[in-house]
Amino acid sequence: MKIFMCNDRVETKLCCIYTAWECALKVGYDKVGMMVEPVTEPTLFDEYIHVEYDEDHYIKVVRSIRNSISDIAYMYVYYACLSADPDALNKVFRFLRKGFKVGASIIKRLNDPDVMNMMELRRNVGNEIHYFREFARFTSMDSKLYVCHIEPKNNVAYMVGQHFADRMPSEYWMIIDDKRHLAVVHPMDEDTYLRRLTDEEFETLKNTEAKEDEYTDMWRTFFKAVAIEQRKNPECQRSHFPIWMRKHATEFMDV
Amino acid sequence: MFEISNTEAGITTNEKLKILADAAKYDVACTSSGVDRRGKKGFLGNSAACGICHSFGADGRCISLLKVLMTNHCIYDCKYCANRVSNDVPRAEFEPEELCRLVMEFYKRNYIEGLFLSSGVFKTPAYTMERMCIILSLLRNKYHFNGYIHVKTIPGAPDELLAAAGYLADRISVNLELPTAESLEKLAPNKSFKTILDPMGKVTDTIAAHRIAIGKDSRMERSTINRYLAGSIFNSSNYVEDHRKPYDVSDRAKIVPENDNVSGKTGNVSDKTMNVSGNYGAAGGGNETDKIFAGLDKQTGKVLRYDKDFLPMRYGDNSLKRAFAPAGQSTQMIVGATEETDYILIRTSQTLYQNYDLKRVFYSAYVPLNEDAVLPALDTAPPLLREHRLYQADWLLRYYGFQANELLSEARPNFNEKVDPKCDWALRNLGDFPVEVQTSTYDKLLRVPGIGPKSARRIMSARRYGSLTYESLKKMGVVLKRAHYFITCNGRMMFNTPIEEEYITRHLVEDNYKDNWKIEHQNEKYHQMSLFDDFNLT
Repeated sequence: MKIFMCNDRVETKLCCIYTAWECALKVGYDKVGMMVEPVTEPTLFDEYIHVEYDEDHYIKVVRSIRNSISDIAYMYVYYACLSADPDALNKVFRFLRKGFKVGASIIKRLNDPDVMNMMELRRNVGNEIHYFREFARFTSMDSKLYVCHIEPKNNVAYMVGQHFADRMPSEYWMIIDDKRHLAVVHPMDEDTYLRRLTDEEFETLKNTEAKEDEYTDMWRTFFKAVAIEQRKNPECQRSHFPIWMRKHATEFMDV
Repeated sequence: MFEISNTEAGITTNEKLKILADAAKYDVACTSSGVDRRGKKGFLGNSAACGICHSFGADGRCISLLKVLMTNHCIYDCKYCANRVSNDVPRAEFEPEELCRLVMEFYKRNYIEGLFLSSGVFKTPAYTMERMCIILSLLRNKYHFNGYIHVKTIPGAPDELLAAAGYLADRISVNLELPTAESLEKLAPNKSFKTILDPMGKVTDTIAAHRIAIGKDSRMERSTINRYLAGSIFNSSNYVEDHRKPYDVSDRAKIVPENDNVSGKTGNVSDKTMNVSGNYGAAGGGNETDKIFAGLDKQTGKVLRYDKDFLPMRYGDNSLKRAFAPAGQSTQMIVGATEETDYILIRTSQTLYQNYDLKRVFYSAYVPLNEDAVLPALDTAPPLLREHRLYQADWLLRYYGFQANELLSEARPNFNEKVDPKCDWALRNLGDFPVEVQTSTYDKLLRVPGIGPKSARRIMSARRYGSLTYESLKKMGVVLKRAHYFITCNGRMMFNTPIEEEYITRHLVEDNYKDNWKIEHQNEKYHQMSLFDDFNLT
């Protein structure tokens, strides 16, 4: 079996699918697999091939998904590429094989397990984007720059940034993915962009959350005051606001 | 009163926030849903129709908006309220600019989705309402806040202030508090049904007129599901003709500005316009807000006067496009303070949805705060399970095509505590079941316990391309635990279960028992006794 490996950028993943597809036409669809680097436990009898980003391939893949299947199918694929599921690329591959055969109606065929898998990936990533739209917290540096740290399971920082780009177009802000060392940067009234942080940059930005001011205090005051004692329900609170997400939430930090 | 204002002088914003958030916490209508609005350069904020929660408090309720009172000073003496004039509680009041800064900073940090502004009645309803409008006007026009605002109107406030509030806010609400006039008279002696339903009706009409003016249907958008459900309460053939005909408004003074191009259909439009010009004294003298309102009317140089062209929305370049309460109107009712049955509550809700076109009705389990002969005793537990059942029923009305009289009747006026209203209905109508998922219609599928709008839609589209299995139904989101008693898939039931009321009831009650217990006992602390933790033996 040939395993194609690539880095975790969406564009490269799509190129990886292209290369794997090309190979599958020669050796058979069940003889190829895909993985995201780093591959820590390689198997003995498989062949591992590294795939680099190639703009032509990337454009071809996007174009054929959008033209031959549908825009919604491309959205499914894009979300699946953001997913942290190690098997996501293979799921996309199987979905696309069927998608190119039947066309736009593929996303409705939920009784097909391959389509259901994609729906689950999309739902999982979509839900996480929504979670961070809710629970991302910005800290004010000098009441001009606002910095936010998140540690999402899937690679959703950019999609979360899209929401805030619409919401706060005339502010300076950045969202930092602590796990992947990615930053979504938004300068005032300009376009948002994604960049990989160098170790040095990350070190400087690491501790922004420690900064306290009157508004962090007041937020905690409000958070406590608005709960009704007679209706206390930590279980319900936990199911809506899971504990792993509280790490960067101002109201749950101990001062 | 003067001692209070004396101690108030040196109070910090943090302390004010504590008092005024605490005083507002029993208000439940704080969703941020109902309007989609893109952000724009130079402004702060946008709005998503689905609503966004930002945190969850210790009681598990979502925190979406900065829910505060403008002031908890109140001249009224509503029996159930913590802020009634006869209670000795710390009192405070936000300065308009102070509250605006708080909203802006909280919003930028993504703590909140917007502002929920309510207030105790300070001096007079008109004075209070005017001051609230000043805050909203400042937020929209000076601070360029484009996020969500929900404003509670004060019963008895004049029409032009109601109009001003509606143009500045996204959602406007009047609290019905209690579903019958008798209860209201008993518990809220200073309020009357008239002072509540009157503004509610006017807001409804204004929203309708405004929607027609911009080319929309006069009624609020509802979930698209309702289009496919013949029995839906939002289906015009199902309107109940009540004491008040919807939108027959020819005899009512309307609260839209005359120069608004409203189509003839909405009847005559009075020349009453909104104005926050300080007719009620709340604008004060010589302060910042005064200057803003003065700036509005540079041409004539007159400030505090009644002028139909004098609209706060004209301040700033964008505000003319602002719609009147685009996210609609809502209300809330207290559950458990008086003797009303669930049937009366749910009938009232249905009437409000149909005749007043309310977007939401909220239910608030009564938490005893005051001791009074007409109120439940102080140690009464809040009726949380009952509140939960009412919300479930409310959803059945708005998303599942049920009507109030299908769920309850005069003979059975209260919900079954043991099973949810949908299961309860299904058990009483076992003749309609089992439903074949492969061929049944959308509205029949929706009535199966365990199948919701999303899973029903998935079933509808997936079954065109191949046959369904119980496995795939489960993945589509069907709760088979409840649904399997009521459906067949390709002619087969999941297990060999008899369609028999007693048998299914027994099983459903068992399944529900744990959930119900949790809701009823959510605030009781219990845990396994442990020598090490409880007796400090470590």
